[in-house]
Order: sequence, then structure tokens, then C-alpha cells
Amino acid sequence: MEDRLILSNKFKMLTYALMGVGVVSFALGFVFDAERTWANYLLNNYYFVSLAIGAAFFAAIQYITQSGWSAMFKRVPEAMVAYLPFAAVFFLILYFGMHSVFEWTHHEVVSHDHILQHKSPYLNVPFFFARVVVFFAAWIILSKVLRKLSLKEDEVGGMYYFQKSELYSKIFIFVLAFSFSLFSVDMLMSLEPHWFSTMFAGKSFMAGVLHASSIIALIVIILSKQGKFPLLNHSHLHDFTRYIFMSSIVWGYFNFAEFMLIWYGNIPEETSWFVHRWHGAYKILFFANIVINWAIPFLVLMPRKSSRSKLFMIPVILLLIIGQYTELYYIIWPATVHEAKFGLLEIGTFLGYAGLFSWVVGTTLTKASLVPKNHPYMEESIQHHF
Amino acid sequence: MSKKYILGVFDDEATLVDAFEKLKDKGVMPVEVYTPYPVHEILEGMPIKTRITHAAFFYGLFAALGILGFLTYAAVIDWPLRYGGKPFNAFPSFIVVTIVATILSITLLTLFTFSARAKVFPGKKAEIFHERATDDKFVMVFDKDGIANDSESLKAILTEHGKIE
Repeated sequence: MEDRLILSNKFKMLTYALMGVGVVSFALGFVFDAERTWANYLLNNYYFVSLAIGAAFFAAIQYITQSGWSAMFKRVPEAMVAYLPFAAVFFLILYFGMHSVFEWTHHEVVSHDHILQHKSPYLNVPFFFARVVVFFAAWIILSKVLRKLSLKEDEVGGMYYFQKSELYSKIFIFVLAFSFSLFSVDMLMSLEPHWFSTMFAGKSFMAGVLHASSIIALIVIILSKQGKFPLLNHSHLHDFTRYIFMSSIVWGYFNFAEFMLIWYGNIPEETSWFVHRWHGAYKILFFANIVINWAIPFLVLMPRKSSRSKLFMIPVILLLIIGQYTELYYIIWPATVHEAKFGLLEIGTFLGYAGLFSWVVGTTLTKASLVPKNHPYMEESIQHHF
Repeated sequence: MSKKYILGVFDDEATLVDAFEKLKDKGVMPVEVYTPYPVHEILEGMPIKTRITHAAFFYGLFAALGILGFLTYAAVIDWPLRYGGKPFNAFPSFIVVTIVATILSITLLTLFTFSARAKVFPGKKAEIFHERATDDKFVMVFDKDGIANDSESLKAILTEHGKIE
């Protein structure tokens, strides 16, 4: 069953147009308001890396738990992971803008600040970029190995490649848990280098898993609307929803646990982060964040009927796409731009990245048969019903 | 009160499901089917659908609102005290109590609801239709009064589909 996806010209033109919008927005942004543009740059890069990492986590989980239901769709998370090499380049380019976003890169600030001096063995520019290089190298190598094994399985079949994939997934998941935690601390928590929170890494990781699993479901639904995945049934949709539902609850729990303990402990160096974010537009974002990322998915996707219908899933997923942006905006803006500015620049740059991401996912999907062949759990995936 | 029942005892899932489908087409429904594990076709095919999840949702909703209301009444309205510089309405600290107490309320209330609906209580004598129904056999139970006129054809169908006793 050779069933390859062919990208329509319209789709390609659309992604090129979006990328064009992104480039123009960045160019204009750097000319008029460089600081705000670098904040945008960081936000969008982190946004799409978290999607790719969440997808990698999703794919690894499927191997480790030997899940049958998702065998049909494993090309979709694989395609999302293919964005990682692009992200690696973008994060290295962040070098040129790091003085605009990271306070701890300024020598004169650090030399007057005892706490930052204390943190400088970890937070210094060479080590920071060494970490970026090492993390991305590990992610790209491991995801390439998994992708290769998965393609090889299509040709040869048998259990050998599946067991190998499972082994590499186990390694990958440990690497991911460790490195992405440090990565989110580097990229987001160190924006306000005096502040620290032990829940932060876990929360960021869950946010990535939540939004990646909703994007995977969205891509599958879009493809099925175009006649691909004819065997998609309500049980598959229900399982996708379970991932969204579960990670939404865990994210909500982490978010609340972080806030609650800091609020209750009331220690000045911890509360300062929330006090900054308790004024004007940020206060609205604080609540919007919880409502969009937890309350609405929780309530809407709870009944059995709505959790297996595209009609309910699509609006929730679209809302979650905004939700991840809200969260990152809420974390990054008060630390870098200091005012809640939102305008064409933010929309344009986001559209540019969205275009690039869809282009990468689209072209990667065309490179292999959309439905894997010879996957040992294929039959179970087709028969999936509960 | 002794009712008469007809039992169909089966050895495996496939024959049970065959007989079940055949009888369903004829409009004869068993009052209860005992299986060693959940059988999908039976779950979907039985006319009675459980509504306990809806009950649980509303128990949870009312428990959460009730507990939040009680905490607010106790700590804000009736006996306001300052703890550690917090406002009277220390809402975030109420949430943890609410979550835990809501889970407890849902568990207990659904347990009682289920017991009341299934008419079980501690010390009740068990109704055992077939002594291996809780073992590895599949048992279908039919109410003899409901199908008095064609109990012979029912027995024929059951036998044909591999009823073993």
C-alpha cells in the first residue's frame, strides 16, 4: 500500500507566502524596534522547538509502551521532529541578539550583582552556547536514528527494527527529560536570572507535550479531511484527545503548584516574578493562560461524545495553539520588553514560523509512505476500537 | 419471591457473542450477562447504559462548589482571621482542600449510588445464578416470565450456538 502524500501547489505557495511575511516582519522589526524583535525571535523559536520536542516525546512514548493504536500515525510526529535542525540554526543565531534578551550577558550588570556572579559558572555565554550545541546535537542524532530505523522497517519488516526503535526511544526519553528541562531553564527562566522555580522545567515540558499532541491530532484531522488516513475512526480520535486531556491536566497541576507554593511561601525573591506579572495586561494573561490551557480543554473534552468528535476537537486545538503563545508571551514579555506590546510584528513573525514549520512537516511527510508499512502493530491500529 | 430464569452457559467469547447477536435480532434480551472480562459486543449491545459517569460529574461539581462555599463562609464571612499576612479570602490555598475533598465526595457518593442502584449492601446474600459465573464461564441470564411463550425456541438457539449446559 504505497500511499504518499503529494503537496498541492497551493499549500506550497501558502507556506512560502507565510515565510515571506515572517522575513519581512523580522526585517522591519530589526530596523524599528530591535529589542522587541529579538524577544519575538526567542518566543517563536521556543514555541516551535517545544512542539518538535513534544512530538519526539510522543513518538518515543508510543514505542516504549508498545502502543498499537498509534502505529498508523507515527509519520506525523516524525515529520514534526524534522524541524529540529532548522531550530538549531535559529538558536545559534540568537547569539547576535542575546544582549537584548538576556540580562546576565552584560558584564557591567554581573560585576555589580553578587547573585549573578554566584550563578556565572553556569550562566555564561560560552557554556550557554555549548549547551545549545550539545542538546541539539543529541536531539537531532537520536531523532535521525529513530527515523532511519522507522524507514528501514518499511522496507524490511519484522520485529528487529521495532525492538531497536524501542531501545533508542528509551535512551531518547531520558536525554529529552534531562536536556529539555535545562533548555527551558536556559531560554525562559534565565530571562529573569534572579528568579528560580523548581516547577518551571516540568511545567515547560508538559506545555510542550500538551501543544505537540494537539498539533499532531490537528495534522491527522487535516490529512483525513483530504482523504488520507481512511481508517481513522472515533477510537483513534478519542486516544488523541486523551493525550491532550491528560497533559492539559498535568500542565494545570504544575502551573498551579508553582504559583500556589510561591504565593503561600511569600518569599520576596520568588514572588517578584509574579508581582511583575500582576499588572495590567499581564494579569489578564495570567488568567487567560489557565482558562485556555486547562479549564476549556478539561471541560470540553471530558464527555465521551465530544472527546471523539472532530467538531469539538478542532476548536479546542486551535485555542491551544493560542494558549502556548499566551504562556510564552506571559513568560518572556515582562522580562524583556517590559510593556505588553502586541501588534503586526508579533503576528507577522509568528505566521512566518508557522509557514516554515508547516513546510518542513509537509515536505517530510511526502518523503515516506504516509501510513507505515510492515509496522508490527499495524493490524492492531487498523482494528482499534473500544 | 422466586422468579424463574433460563441460563445459557458458554465456554468462550465467540459462541456467546454469536448467540447474543442472534437473540438480539429476534428481540430477546438477556437481563444480565456474566463474563470473566468485559466483552465489547455485549457492553454495546445491552439495552441498559450506565449513567453513573454523569452522576459522578454532578457530584463533583456540587461537591467542589459546596466545599469552596463552606471554606469561604468559614474563613471569610463567619470567622475571618489573618494567617501569615494573607488576605481573608486566601483563594489559592482553598483549592488544594477542594480538590482532595471533591475526590473523596465523588468516590463515596458514586459508591453509594451504585450500591443503591444495584441493590447491594453489606451482609446481603449473594444471588448466584451459576456457580461458575465468577469463574471462567460466560453466563447469560433470561427472565422466564418475559419470554414465556417462546422459551423453547430460545433454548434451541442457545443450544445451536454452543451452549454447554
